[in-house]
Amino acid sequence: MTDCGCDKAKAELEEFLHNELSPQQCQDIRDHMANCDDCSAEHLVGLTLTNKVKEACQEKAPDELRSLVLGAISNLDNRP
Amino acid sequence: MTATLTTDAPVEVRAASVPHARSVPPASSVHWRTMTDEAAAKRALFQEQALPFMDQLYGAAMRMTKNPADAADLVQETFVKAFAAFAQFEQGTNLKAWLYRILTNTFINQYRKNQRNPYQGALEELEDWQLGGAESATSTVGRSAEAEAIDRMPASAVKDALQEIPEDFRLAVYLADVEGFAYQEIADIMKTPVGTVMSRLHRGRRQLREKLADYARERGYALPDSTSPTPTRSTT
Repeated sequence: MTDCGCDKAKAELEEFLHNELSPQQCQDIRDHMANCDDCSAEHLVGLTLTNKVKEACQEKAPDELRSLVLGAISNLDNRP
Repeated sequence: MTATLTTDAPVEVRAASVPHARSVPPASSVHWRTMTDEAAAKRALFQEQALPFMDQLYGAAMRMTKNPADAADLVQETFVKAFAAFAQFEQGTNLKAWLYRILTNTFINQYRKNQRNPYQGALEELEDWQLGGAESATSTVGRSAEAEAIDRMPASAVKDALQEIPEDFRLAVYLADVEGFAYQEIADIMKTPVGTVMSRLHRGRRQLREKLADYARERGYALPDSTSPTPTRSTT
């Protein structure tokens, strides 16, 4: 058990969330969160925000864009 | 006959039947047929590898340009540039990141300068996200309610909030949270140091969170007012 404490956990939660920490650092934060409701709740907010943004930003390109792109590309090929 | 210095195929075919035409260098004697085959193969590979990213690039372009017509133009231009430069793409490396670099470049060079609101982030250097503390006024109960409120938020509210934050912040958030790029990849795409990426991402997410909390409060979601002097503390 290598609980890193609230200050360190809070400072690194964003990097933890974005998978930018070493395995050891991640473990320290997990160990801390297992015993700290406050940091767990903070992490949950961050996680929820990420998932929500990801979900909200899914787009489908218009069908005609595909043909436009294909047309533009073959024009490039045929260019003298 | 005035032979022109070009590697263009038809000239070459003609040149082959004219012995005195010195203008066609021997190195360029690629057969017309081979050229066509190569071009077709290149195009097939590009279509197979790059075109599947169209929806994703369009999503990013929508967040950048904020409207479907400009987003479609930007994506088309990105693919045209990518196709023209496809020979320089090193197979086996990250094609998605490569395409996003072209998209971002094109946007910055051609679209951004036409836009109002040229926020350039002078405040960015303050790195206030490193100081932390802004969220510590909120209680655990408040955070749980906040997570729940965000979870219930309609997609349109999230997109509106995203559009309201500064462009560089928005892009960093998009690249990290929607596309899942690593900080270093985002740094390469946005051509900034990793520290700047972290700063933009932290600030962008914080602002987004504040905007969503405002939205939730306006709609009467059960969310404690963060300015309340006596937040309820959880004892569990």
